[in-house]
Amino acid sequence: MTDLANVAAPALSSTPTKSRRRISLGSPIAWIGLAVLIVSWIAAVNLLNIPSYILPKPDAVLRALWSGLAVSPTSPLGYYLPLWSTLSNAAVGCAIGVGLGLVIGSLMAEVEAIERLVMPYAFALQSLPKVAIAPLIVIWFGFGDGSKIAISALLSFFPVLINSFTGLRAVEPERIDLMRSLSASRFETYRIVKLPNAAPFIFAGLDMAVVYALLGAIVAEFLGAQRGMGVVITQAQAVSDVAGVFAALIILGVLGIVLHGIVRWCEARVVHWGANRNK
Amino acid sequence: MLMMDVETAPRRAAPDDVLIAIDQVSKTYVSASGASVHALSRISLDIKPGEFVCVVGPSGCGKSTLLRLLAGLDGYSEGRLLLDGETVAGPSRKVGVVFQAANLLPWMTVRDNVGLPLRVGGQHAPAGDRIERLLAVTGLGDFGDKYPYELSGGMQQRAGICRALARDPEILLMDEPFGALDALTRERLNLELQRIWQENRKTILLITHSISEAIFLADRVIVMSARPGRILADLHVPIPRPRTFDDIVLHPDYARLAKEVRGLLNAQEHGHD
Repeated sequence: MTDLANVAAPALSSTPTKSRRRISLGSPIAWIGLAVLIVSWIAAVNLLNIPSYILPKPDAVLRALWSGLAVSPTSPLGYYLPLWSTLSNAAVGCAIGVGLGLVIGSLMAEVEAIERLVMPYAFALQSLPKVAIAPLIVIWFGFGDGSKIAISALLSFFPVLINSFTGLRAVEPERIDLMRSLSASRFETYRIVKLPNAAPFIFAGLDMAVVYALLGAIVAEFLGAQRGMGVVITQAQAVSDVAGVFAALIILGVLGIVLHGIVRWCEARVVHWGANRNK
Repeated sequence: MLMMDVETAPRRAAPDDVLIAIDQVSKTYVSASGASVHALSRISLDIKPGEFVCVVGPSGCGKSTLLRLLAGLDGYSEGRLLLDGETVAGPSRKVGVVFQAANLLPWMTVRDNVGLPLRVGGQHAPAGDRIERLLAVTGLGDFGDKYPYELSGGMQQRAGICRALARDPEILLMDEPFGALDALTRERLNLELQRIWQENRKTILLITHSISEAIFLADRVIVMSARPGRILADLHVPIPRPRTFDDIVLHPDYARLAKEVRGLLNAQEHGHD
């Protein structure tokens, strides 16, 4: 167990600590940081004469953003269709990856034989840069939605697998004793004690999984796709529309923050005892 | 007072009026570091139905081990352990366990925690009335919808006792249930436990560090030795009930018993040095 926790350190960097990520959308420090960034951006472009094909002016990026947003949702020139394509593939992939991660993580935590069987391969795969497998997956699943979903699922699988496994094993022995003293079945112990106990860990994994799923879909689109935000970026890059690349990146960044916020919102509702206990 | 040398005590067949029969039970386990630990050495003890027995002993003397054996949570190496004439082979429905520090599940309301024994282990008893009554009896009537973190330590342990009573077990095993509480809360809960016991006459085995708590609560105080745990003395407490803390300290038997128990425990400490 302890070995595992050490080996899994990269994936576990997001194990639940409640003080982590107190900086939310409402934090003034975050907004001051953004203002400083934009001011230094404007200063850099104007004072240092950086050419626009390296660093575009903020207003050029804003114009690019506007031209992508201020169109009909069905326009092929807007962000909406590619966003929908990327998001829906990432969502399907994320659901598959999270579901599999939770099920296999649970089986590993419950059955030692499965842990021994799966763990070495899980770590072998985990230590592999998974983006490097992406070309192989495109060969297997083609240039359509299948490869986007598959890479999203692969990337979101591991954080949930490792976190749910660790969380399910991290249960206090006294709580297991309690269930044993009540002659509870294995599944009752899992459902009533272990799963709620692991919930903060699982949410930490989920938090990473949603962002990784988005990343997976974009990477797959880079490798070849007809639509999606990855295509928007590569097309802008092809015509040296750096402002267009920046605009697409800003969209993806905002999307990441929103997804993160949704996960945190859900966690606060599900893991209500943890949040309140620290008050 | 009854002093009994366990090693030479005659083996008795468990008579009808014995609910818990511990007969020459030993326990050896292998610690995390791989060393073999001799926790209990040939413990023999009979407990009658309705008796309130407290076990005191130095830390690490195996008194919690004894309780875990009775709860069916751990196996024993030697001897016989009978509950109501049946060999202990695992957790029994006749037994309710009160853990140290309440051990409530933080994601459930107090009501759900207390009702847990009625929903697991093949139990599908309608919880409603019984749980409400238990909550009311222990002064938690208004706290059923609260979560454990909203309760004080004393309230949490009341809920822990409620939960152990949910299945209406014959035997209550309590492992230092009030050890983490402040002195006043502890006395209040001792009084309350005495009242609960007088009302429903469960058989209670309570493990404690506190000599005064043991004498206040018990019909019999069992004094255990340092590891490997043996029974040094089995002392009858003839003080009439209901007892109060104000009265009991003035009772001549209290002073005599406290002195005797303290003497036995101190001798252990020195023997250990």
